[in-house]
Amino acid sequence: MHDIRVGTEDVFKRQLELAARNHKLLRERGVRAFNVMGAIGSGKTLLILRLAERLREKGLRVGAIAGDVAGDDDYQRFVGAGLVAANLNTGDECHLDAHRVGHALETFPLGEVDVLFIENVGNLVCPADFPLGTEGELVVISVTEGDDMVRKHPKIFAQTDVLAVNKVDLAGFVGVDPMALVDDYRALNPHGKVVLTDAKSGRGVDDLLAALGL
Amino acid sequence: MHEYSLAHALLDGLTEHLRAHPVSGRVKAVHVRKGELLVLSEEALREAWRILTEGTSLAGSELRIEPVPVAVRCPACGYEGPVRYTDEEGWHFAVPVLACPRCGGRADVAAGRDLAIVALSVDEDLP
Repeated sequence: MHDIRVGTEDVFKRQLELAARNHKLLRERGVRAFNVMGAIGSGKTLLILRLAERLREKGLRVGAIAGDVAGDDDYQRFVGAGLVAANLNTGDECHLDAHRVGHALETFPLGEVDVLFIENVGNLVCPADFPLGTEGELVVISVTEGDDMVRKHPKIFAQTDVLAVNKVDLAGFVGVDPMALVDDYRALNPHGKVVLTDAKSGRGVDDLLAALGL
Repeated sequence: MHEYSLAHALLDGLTEHLRAHPVSGRVKAVHVRKGELLVLSEEALREAWRILTEGTSLAGSELRIEPVPVAVRCPACGYEGPVRYTDEEGWHFAVPVLACPRCGGRADVAAGRDLAIVALSVDEDLP
């Protein structure tokens, strides 16, 4: 028996190259893009709609790509709110990747938007491994998922620089202290920015815009 | 949850490599470096490898996974090296904290997102 050294290409290298290509394209077209990740039902779509309202008040044009395993429910919500939107069904995959997003950007009217939100598939596991080439990343959780969400999925929180803890208006009803989530996140990600939001009423949306640098 | 597609990518890369650099004998083990930041199940990756290599010349080869610890580079103080882990601060599990352990500054990840085949163990006495 003997060992042979082989240097096959890192399998993530191509993903990183594709993400870099998306990043370059978005920069060249003057579009500030954000990868919005988060738990299923945490309120990602409504939060994007609220962010979009504020940005449009500032005179910015906003677009959204709705990533979902199936269906066009979120896409219809974006279109209904007057956003420039595209639907991106993964069919089988539990996350978006730079390759799929790159294809979506080929046909997306980038010239019509200043800010683009790419809503990832609801999942706190896999999206962490697949950078899309966006300027920023946001992860959304809500108090209704429990006060242990950060501990249960530490890697995505350790690597994502903005966290929105949503539905804080419901914290008392579900017996969850939002600060437990905030403390866990700060321990994992000392440089991360965390904002408490209630997308329904709009609470925290301005702070979230500031955290994203918008 | 994407272990199958990643095992497939590893297998494609190795098949291509072996086409250009054939080995004589049977590949018994395939050594893989896996960054600890990746959210991958090693058990699922090994099982995916077992299933995907069935009926190929790599059938029966074992995937040996070598973890790659996170290393960071700090633009502020120039630190390069390993990071702190949450278990050092009273947590029940170890998650790398992606900040500079020396000055506390924001640090860039220099290692820990790898997934690549680095070596093969070959038994030259087997066909």
